[in-house]
Amino acid sequence: MSLVRMLGTPAKGAFARLARLRFGALSTRIALLYAGLFALVLGLVVTLAVGAFARFGEESASRDLAANARVFDEILAAQARQMGDQADVMARDFGFREAVATDDVPTINSTLESLEGRVGSDMVFVLTLEGDVLTAGATGVPAPETLWQRLDEGAKRGIIRSDKGFALAAATPIEAPDLIGWLVIAQPLDRATLDRLVELAPIALDATMVDGARQPAWLRDAGADTVFERDQGGRHLYHVSDLPVLQDGIAPRLVLSHALTKSMAAHANLRWWLGILACGGIMLVLGLGFKVARSVTEPLQQLDEATRLIGEGRQVNLNIGTDDEIGRLAQSFNRMVAAIEERERQIVHVGLHDGLTGLPNRKLFTEQLANTLARRRKDEQVVVAYVDLDDFKMVNDTLGHPAGDALLRMVAEHLKEDLPDAMIARLGGDEFAVLFAGIDPGQNLASIADNLQRSFDRPLRINGQAASCGASIGIAVAPTDGKDGNTLMKNADLALYRAKHEGKSTYHFFEPSLDEAARCRRQMELDLRAAIKEGGFELNFQPLYSLAERRLTGFEALIRWNHPTRGRISPAEFIPLAEETGLIIPIGEWVLREACHHAGTWPDDVSVAVNVSPKQFAATGIASTVLSALSASGLPPRRLELEITESVFIADVDMTMATLHSLRNIGVRIALDDFGTGYSSLSYLRSFPFDKVKIDKSFVEDLGTSKNGHAMIRAITTLANALGMETLAEGVEDIAQFEVLEREGCQNIQGYLFSRPVAADAVAGLLRDGAGYERKLRA
Amino acid sequence: MPRFQISHRLSALGLVVLAAIPGTVFVASAAGPASLRVQIVDEAGLPVRDAVVELHSAKAAAGPIRFPWKMGMAQRDQQFTPGTLIVAKGSTVAFPNLDQVRHSIYSFSKPARFEIELYGRDQTRTQTFAIAGSVKLGCKIHDQMRGYIRVTDTPYAAKTDHNGYATVSGMASGAASVTVWHPQLRAPGNESRSALTIQGGAQTQKYRIAVK
Repeated sequence: MSLVRMLGTPAKGAFARLARLRFGALSTRIALLYAGLFALVLGLVVTLAVGAFARFGEESASRDLAANARVFDEILAAQARQMGDQADVMARDFGFREAVATDDVPTINSTLESLEGRVGSDMVFVLTLEGDVLTAGATGVPAPETLWQRLDEGAKRGIIRSDKGFALAAATPIEAPDLIGWLVIAQPLDRATLDRLVELAPIALDATMVDGARQPAWLRDAGADTVFERDQGGRHLYHVSDLPVLQDGIAPRLVLSHALTKSMAAHANLRWWLGILACGGIMLVLGLGFKVARSVTEPLQQLDEATRLIGEGRQVNLNIGTDDEIGRLAQSFNRMVAAIEERERQIVHVGLHDGLTGLPNRKLFTEQLANTLARRRKDEQVVVAYVDLDDFKMVNDTLGHPAGDALLRMVAEHLKEDLPDAMIARLGGDEFAVLFAGIDPGQNLASIADNLQRSFDRPLRINGQAASCGASIGIAVAPTDGKDGNTLMKNADLALYRAKHEGKSTYHFFEPSLDEAARCRRQMELDLRAAIKEGGFELNFQPLYSLAERRLTGFEALIRWNHPTRGRISPAEFIPLAEETGLIIPIGEWVLREACHHAGTWPDDVSVAVNVSPKQFAATGIASTVLSALSASGLPPRRLELEITESVFIADVDMTMATLHSLRNIGVRIALDDFGTGYSSLSYLRSFPFDKVKIDKSFVEDLGTSKNGHAMIRAITTLANALGMETLAEGVEDIAQFEVLEREGCQNIQGYLFSRPVAADAVAGLLRDGAGYERKLRA
Repeated sequence: MPRFQISHRLSALGLVVLAAIPGTVFVASAAGPASLRVQIVDEAGLPVRDAVVELHSAKAAAGPIRFPWKMGMAQRDQQFTPGTLIVAKGSTVAFPNLDQVRHSIYSFSKPARFEIELYGRDQTRTQTFAIAGSVKLGCKIHDQMRGYIRVTDTPYAAKTDHNGYATVSGMASGAASVTVWHPQLRAPGNESRSALTIQGGAQTQKYRIAVK
């Protein structure tokens, strides 16, 4: 049966508590550890101290005893000396000497009697040289023959034994003038005398006289003048002195004893006190240990609790006012918590705001819009406006990105200033969104839009230059244009799209037809993808006529889309969509391959021209696409002519130049299409040696109506010739235009005058009938 | 008052009375006036000075006894001088005081018990010693002063010199007894007696005595 079971349930509880104390609370552990250490040290000290006290007590008692023994001996010797002095005085007295010498017994007796009275002794006697003893009536005088020898040897002090016991005696010789005897004075060393002596001692002593012949065995073994301990009804210290004798046959010993047990009782008391003090000290240390440990662990508990609360996302402030390490820890903890909160707030801010302008971002805007819509009163209108800056890309490209950023910040500032009640967000790039809430049904929505529009008319200064930045705005209104945020935003975006298309710096309200148009576009996109996949495109070719060589020198490949349900769709309708959606890249690739393939079947002196859209041009890998198309068809590179427009330079001039040179290295010819429209910069001509310049058909159309048309054509051809570039005029429709162009030095002609674009299988016919054109022209 | 016998005391003390030691007698070969040269030594064999040697022969000498030294004992430097003086029975001894201080003389000895009161410098007192024996003299005021007078009734007496020798002569041959006295001799009366035969001529005898 275990101890615990024997003790029962309360004991088990106590055991469990003990275990918890041991493993749980730090404060308990610290307090117990220190109390234990203290108890250990204290126990050691008390044990040592008690031992030392006992030893000290014993030693001091034994020292005292030895000292008292010496004092005893000294007192006895002094007493004997005193008696001896008195005996001397008497023995010198002439009368006394005469009495002894002449054996005058009565005189001697009276003298001895008076001497007894004077010295307080009951035994004074004269021992003559002849061995006679003369006394004044004293009895019990020892036998003279036991005294004679010692006296004759000159002994003067010592113990004698009378019939009453031991006595201290002093003797002095009587000389008249030679030695005739001795005068002896004795005083008994009885119990009373010894007790009187003992009372003089500072410690409790017991003195006894023992005759060596009759002493107990343990005393016989004891050496003289040493202190030894013996247990006899308690511990006793003993000291034995062998006393000098005046008599043969006796061996008097003075035995002093001291009851050690009694004197050590005081020390035992001290031991108790020390024990009590030690226990008190341990309790005190235990208590203080608990207190000190708790002063450490309590803040730790608070820290623990605070950490847990922070983990739960609650706000916590530790309140520990002490100035020690723990207080500093609490302060650091508070600072840490504050810093974490601040960072969290910043992270949330960053997550919900635009870093550049500080405006809310799309996410926050969406949330706010949803909130606003949820709170919307029944007759309240909510207006969502999407804003897109016009020509922001131009600012970025011409003035640099820092300028663009500055522009965006300024616009944001203006919006915030002008529309304090509206919520303004930046959706990304140059797109902003504005939320107007709480609009009454009767309120004029157009004035709100005008207000918004005016904000963009404010003058701007970037890098010290005046700038202007118009914006296109699309507006959707809840509840009419949609009840949920997503619909509203989509519809505002559609309206914006329409506004953009209608021209810049305008706003457009959403109308359901917009939704329809968007639906159409989405459908067309799907159809385009299907056409790419299923081969819904075909190429037509329009001949290019060389005035110099008087023959067809090539064809421009033009894409045609035969929609399965809508029939033929104009490139003007689907190419922009393809550009927008990026589908232009697979389409362009297909065109290149198909054109090269067809051209490969043509005579060697007939080349093919293919349009490359800016998006296609900017995409990586145009050179490798060209190479693979050439190698797949076996067409020599010089028979492929790529037509690009000036707009390829808008994106990135350096990259464009690099691409042009890489294409030039392949060996293909490069023509600049639509020359004279758009941004027409002569610097492009200078920066890259185009093989051909295609004069835009608008210039050709002008030829019939304006005198200036001639001059423009002449200027272009003269410039191109000077730069070593061929020229080609597009859209030539009648003979008059042809003649002017020929006269002004244009080298190539393209247009209905010769042929509309024809299917691929008609190319061979055209080439065969090439002379037919000649005839036609001459006709 | 108990009294103890001397013999008893002597035996108790273990005293030895030294008689003539056989084998130590040297007989002179030449005839002539008899003389006895005696050496007194102590138990250690060392010579004893100022011991008095007396010889009593069977045939007593006739006529008054004359010694060749002065019958006087002076007091000089707080000493009796000579310390030991041999005088014939009935002699009168002078005690001149040669000191600057006064002296007295007393004796408790049985042959002559007397007291001479203090007397000053250059004064003399006399005392007649009628009984043979040894007389011990002291001064009442100077305890250390000891004087010994041996009153003898035989002319054959002498005092040992520093070698312990004493010589007596002129006695008749025959049986004799020799008495040796010395104040510290450990024997009753401080004397020891032994028998001797005077053979005539020079004779030598050595005695060993116990002294304190």
